[in-house]
Amino acid sequence: MSIRFFLALATVTMGISVHAQALTDADEIVARANLAAYYAGKDGRSEIRMIIRDAQDRQQRRQFTVLRRDIDDGGDQQFLVVFSQPSDVRNTVFLVDKHIDRDDDRWLYLPGLDLVKRISASDKRTSFVGAHYFYEDVSGRRPSEDAHELIDTSDEFYVLKHVPHDAQSAEFSSYVTWIDRQTFLPMKIDYTNPAGKLYRRVEVMKVENIDGHPTVTISRVSDLSTGGATDMQFRFIKYDIGLPESVFTERSLRSPPSDWLQRPEG
Amino acid sequence: MNLWPLLLVIPTIVFAQEDMWHDDDWGEEDSGTVWSGFVEAGLGTRLDSDPLLDDRKTLEELRLRIEAEWRPGNTTVTLKADGIYDAVEDDWNAEVRDLTAAFSLGKNVDVRAGRQVQTWGTGDLVFLNDLFPKDFVSFFAGRDDEYLKAPGNAIRLTRYSDPVNVDFAWTPLFEPDVYLSGERFSFFSPLAGGNVAPTPPFEAAEPNESFSNGEFALRLFRTVAGREYALYAYRGFFKQPTAFTASLEPIFAPLASLGASLRRPLGPGLFNIEVSYYVSRDDRSGTDSLVPNDQLRFLVGFEWEAKPNFTVGMQYYVESTLDYNGLIQNSPFPGFEPDRNRHLLTNRLTYRAGRDKHTWSLFTFFSPSDHDFYIRPVYTYRHDDHWSLIAGGNLFGGRDRNTFFGQLADSSNAYVRVRYHY
Repeated sequence: MSIRFFLALATVTMGISVHAQALTDADEIVARANLAAYYAGKDGRSEIRMIIRDAQDRQQRRQFTVLRRDIDDGGDQQFLVVFSQPSDVRNTVFLVDKHIDRDDDRWLYLPGLDLVKRISASDKRTSFVGAHYFYEDVSGRRPSEDAHELIDTSDEFYVLKHVPHDAQSAEFSSYVTWIDRQTFLPMKIDYTNPAGKLYRRVEVMKVENIDGHPTVTISRVSDLSTGGATDMQFRFIKYDIGLPESVFTERSLRSPPSDWLQRPEG
Repeated sequence: MNLWPLLLVIPTIVFAQEDMWHDDDWGEEDSGTVWSGFVEAGLGTRLDSDPLLDDRKTLEELRLRIEAEWRPGNTTVTLKADGIYDAVEDDWNAEVRDLTAAFSLGKNVDVRAGRQVQTWGTGDLVFLNDLFPKDFVSFFAGRDDEYLKAPGNAIRLTRYSDPVNVDFAWTPLFEPDVYLSGERFSFFSPLAGGNVAPTPPFEAAEPNESFSNGEFALRLFRTVAGREYALYAYRGFFKQPTAFTASLEPIFAPLASLGASLRRPLGPGLFNIEVSYYVSRDDRSGTDSLVPNDQLRFLVGFEWEAKPNFTVGMQYYVESTLDYNGLIQNSPFPGFEPDRNRHLLTNRLTYRAGRDKHTWSLFTFFSPSDHDFYIRPVYTYRHDDHWSLIAGGNLFGGRDRNTFFGQLADSSNAYVRVRYHY
């Protein structure tokens, strides 16, 4: 057995021991959770369908493809969202330039009018195309917008409480996340409103390992005060496909990049 | 033909079997042809009578939209067409809104050729450098916002590269706005000194067909750190028949324009500024009383989300007529000429509720110089992925008959539309 094997084995063992050792710094846990949830690979693509159920159990559906490209790990990112269903939003395209040091730039292309509409920075905690998800849930909330506190560490989860620095910036007064200690994926998020009532929950229903990245493939957001929920399913996920920066421009709003939107083989 | 009963009939015509979204049905890959569209019934009525028009109806139509897309090779072919029974015009119409072939030339150039709707510029329902055709009749009658943009037959070439992207649209045959003709709404005529509603409807002679009478529109644009800069140029004609021949026949005056715009985030919202210089090519000195003068147009706007789901947009727009003294001294109708500066304020309020199930929108145009206004309330109810209901109004008023909105004072209307998407 070569010395290399022992070195490799040592690294693996140390890796496991590092994981087993509980982290205590809330900011570090949040940073790692942010990477796990939003920055897997350098880029990626996924098809997503949402089933939106209202309190009366009436259903609506959305289907779209998301392309993502990281400029820096944990830093700026770009997203392109191209809708295929239902027919009244077909070919609508949503482009996000996510920034860490300033507000995100967001555009929506409405094909009926050939209109490139820009969305103002303040408009982010509102429904994303009729779902219980918010615009902000699509591209992620900046960790620096909240103060983080580690309130519990169990065998499975880090439990953190987050309070926004600017109380006016969001409809919640705080939220609590259960972060998986192995994968660092946030598995459950509970939002509390200023009246102290739990009113919104985001849950991960299924995680799969894709290209070596633990990846959420089914999630649900529930409106606990009025009822209703949106299920989000992810399929045809692929990481590190080599998306160029040019995919994330006005060009893709008017002419979606079909080569990159194509479903991967296998 | 009365279309009211159709509102009740549509559900039975088009109600399709609810397609269950089976667990493994993620749809076909986009290789085949995709068909979709909608059926819509619309009804609208005048709130006051117009002494010039017997018909109180401003909208009564049944519309079938067919949309299809297919991809032979690297080309995307798109079709969007409407078949309409229009009871106000008592006529069947077919309108192709989009029939284009889109493909790339090399790595950086996108081509889109055919009948298409085009839009650029930063204004919200105010257009300076966007000289693509508009359909104001549809807009005022309460059809979907989409119909404000009329289609034109054009070739659009866009080159995406550093340091600047170049957009060029060539419309070989001049495509005017759909202007007020007296068929659905009466309009002000300076020759008559009041509103008219001629039969057959008013139609202005269009420029002769020639290469130099085509429309050429150019946009240079670039986004730097979230700031969208653009420069514009246009050569063609005024989109409305505002000029007259020597025998006082209305025509479209030759126009060229140059402009610029910026749109950027500012504080919690979006700021836009746009300017355009209109050159009336046949009346550079401004002394020809039958041809419009040069104009300077300026727009500034701000939009932000004031409260969750409640968006506010405000714009100030001014149209400044140059060589104004020359215009007034030579005009046969000095009393009906526009003010030197036509000021316009707009306000858009949008409130969404129930995750966009309900949308209330109120758009107001108000001109303190023309003393006229146009108020546009719209309520949209999206019942599900198929059904939606839209109800709204178009309310006009003004002190004088010869202003843009004042001429429509008898045209205020309310409408309702029911749409089924398939």
